[in-house]
Amino acid sequence: MTPRARFVVGLALVGMHGGAAAQGCGDALGKNVARGESKRYVVAWRADPGPIVVSRHFALDIVVCPKSGATPAQSLAVDATMPAHRHGMNYRSTITAMGAGRFRAEGLMFHMPGAWEFAFDVVAADGTERIRVPYELQ
Amino acid sequence: MSLARYVVAWGALALASLAHAQALDAVERARVLAHGPWPPPWSGDPSNRASAQRGAIAFGERLFFDTRLSKNGLVSCAACHQPKKTWTDGHERGIGLGVADRNTPTIANVRYAHWFGWDGSNDNLWAQSIRPILEPREMGMTPEAVASVVRGTSMFSCHYRRAFGRAPPADDVAVLVGVGKALAAFQETIVTARTPFDDFRDALARNDASAISRYPASALRGLKLFVGRGQCHACHAGPAFTNGEFSDIGVGFFVAQGKVDAGRHEGIRRLRESPYNLLGRWTDDASGRTATGTRHVTLEHRNFGEFKVPGLRSVAETAPYMHNGSAKTLRDAVRHYSEVDPDRVHADGEPLIKALKLTDAEIDDLVAFLVTLSAPGQNFRREQTVEPDCD
Repeated sequence: MTPRARFVVGLALVGMHGGAAAQGCGDALGKNVARGESKRYVVAWRADPGPIVVSRHFALDIVVCPKSGATPAQSLAVDATMPAHRHGMNYRSTITAMGAGRFRAEGLMFHMPGAWEFAFDVVAADGTERIRVPYELQ
Repeated sequence: MSLARYVVAWGALALASLAHAQALDAVERARVLAHGPWPPPWSGDPSNRASAQRGAIAFGERLFFDTRLSKNGLVSCAACHQPKKTWTDGHERGIGLGVADRNTPTIANVRYAHWFGWDGSNDNLWAQSIRPILEPREMGMTPEAVASVVRGTSMFSCHYRRAFGRAPPADDVAVLVGVGKALAAFQETIVTARTPFDDFRDALARNDASAISRYPASALRGLKLFVGRGQCHACHAGPAFTNGEFSDIGVGFFVAQGKVDAGRHEGIRRLRESPYNLLGRWTDDASGRTATGTRHVTLEHRNFGEFKVPGLRSVAETAPYMHNGSAKTLRDAVRHYSEVDPDRVHADGEPLIKALKLTDAEIDDLVAFLVTLSAPGQNFRREQTVEPDCD
């Protein structure tokens, strides 16, 4: 196997490992669970009520899963922006820690259709890590 | 008609229908479908125990058209919100006891809103109904004066009892809130009728090529601009053609020399100070769910100069336009978006509001589309209340 091939296979295995971790995280949330991940965490969430609709408030039930070697999430902040327009929501979400890596974010609203981006800031004992996840709202 | 002629005519119609239907790509089609169906479902306002209650609607209707709720006894809610003018007044700025700073918006479809007024300084319709009654330049009353009129007028007292199951209480503010809730119950019944656009949109949803082809070609071109290059649908979203939120579209905010209308920035401050907001004691929503927006709304510098995105249903009937009535015609309003000064809007990223540089033909098309958001000769449908006289 050439070095380049080994690199590609290695990337694929990393991707599979991340994907497997992502798929297991938040299964208890039920159906319509979305996921994103960073180097050390997987975040899974479900909108309530779902699906997300333009100009209707929604909450997120969230599970933060530490990957191997990462410390558990102590707290979480959730925001969302429309990067192309450089504006965010007109509302600031509030977060309630439910225990065991579960959180509920309330008070979110996407007031325009288009390309949004969730930002989950996972705060742990050894630092904060931001997970950005694009979301297209029709 | 011979068979050959029939086949040719049918073929021509089919081709025209196909061309009409194919004028929209998949993205445009999805965006068009998001503007319906009309009317959307509605089940009352949990913050208002009088909402959707027949007795309260009748009381609210009486109050709405009665001039006794004004300081000089000459101004009613209907002075500015005139049914024959699609519940507006046709003036640049509202005229009550004095001249207001802003244009009178229609109250049609107000039941679908979640913020009220150009600045969203109220989070519910009953508080918004109280606002002009107390505003010195509109109706100029006080809670004490309103309560006195209601208690002292047998017809009003009778309606109050029917609406709320008790006589007007001794607490003047409680009577005022009752008046606001009855006025809200009445206004919630005012919903615009289905329009040629709705027929087109529903035909598109069921792939009815024949019905699709009946939509005017100019309006269809305007609709493509609306959901395409213009990105108008981003703010004028959903079945009511508004996202119910706020935007700075580059319309001037100087009310007079040295006097600025701060729009949403001031609106949020007023909202938080209002004793009638959904976090206060007068709401009937024990769950608190209707107060989600009030709890979470943020006050930011960018709110300065933002005004509410108006719904566009019946827009052709509600001139003049913009929060200050500065656009006299629908064509002027469209031309604003064609020529808007990007430096005035202060967008940091890709500006959503930018000069579209429309041709005259494109302006004609956008106006043609907007006209299809009205039902000719039927600009609103009020659900009639059937209540015996109350004295």
